[in-house]
Amino acid sequence: MNENLFSSFITPTMMGLPIVILIIMFPTLLFPTPTRLINNRLVSAQQWLAQLILKQMMMMHSPKGRTWALMLISLIMFIGSTNLLGLLPHSFTPTTQLSMNLGMAIPLWAGTVITGFRYKTKASLAHFLPQGTPVPLIPMLVIIETISLFIQPMALAVRLTANITAGHLLMHLIGGAALALISISPTTALITFIILILLTILEFAVALIQAYVFTLLVSLYLHDNT
Amino acid sequence: MPQLDTSTWLVTILAMILTLFILIQLKFHKYSYPLSPAPKTFKSTSFPTPWETKWTKIYSPLLLPQQ
Repeated sequence: MNENLFSSFITPTMMGLPIVILIIMFPTLLFPTPTRLINNRLVSAQQWLAQLILKQMMMMHSPKGRTWALMLISLIMFIGSTNLLGLLPHSFTPTTQLSMNLGMAIPLWAGTVITGFRYKTKASLAHFLPQGTPVPLIPMLVIIETISLFIQPMALAVRLTANITAGHLLMHLIGGAALALISISPTTALITFIILILLTILEFAVALIQAYVFTLLVSLYLHDNT
Repeated sequence: MPQLDTSTWLVTILAMILTLFILIQLKFHKYSYPLSPAPKTFKSTSFPTPWETKWTKIYSPLLLPQQ
């Protein structure tokens, strides 16, 4: 039962070839490059969406922080499209892999911290000690702040992995339960099916929200450091 | 848990780095948001000198006193 439940999270390889590479690169095919002055509907809609997101996200940053605009919009679109594609049946969702999320979180977080250290050394070191702490508490508080700084990338990665994995697992379990209940008691199966539909709607929301939260937190760390 | 099988981690991370930092950014940096076209206002930048605001016949070159 355990093997069956987690089998959708195994990195797909076909006869030894890692086709996970193709799966991760697939969402880029869904964003066509604009080549005209007035583009087709798909490209125009995506450009409009990108502008909406950019205006909302980049408003709170200084000009130095706004140089990260391309990175942040790519991040939110990549995570959002990957999560949404993972809701298709029998598909593999790359964001369930802890490796990929760690690979996204650690370099981006490290980038924001190093930017802060290079350009505003005193201010970024001052983040380790909140204002107005009593003098005897200072050593302990510095330790706590350091730990909370280093846990930021881990939290980013594990949050995304756990949310998406948990949602997919729940859908597997409830779907399997609904299927097994059809022969036993159709009304219970119907109730379970309705729960499954509600869960799928929730998963759509979670897919988008997780992308947003990831990007928002990276943007917040950036704001602290620029 | 299959996510903790580290044999596939290198491939996944490399594919993600390729996609996120190169492929997707190549798509998004082509997005351009031009300003809506609007006509330029016509405004003359040269101001007529005081003796040109009012043309009088005596300023025509052939009627000036010959030097």
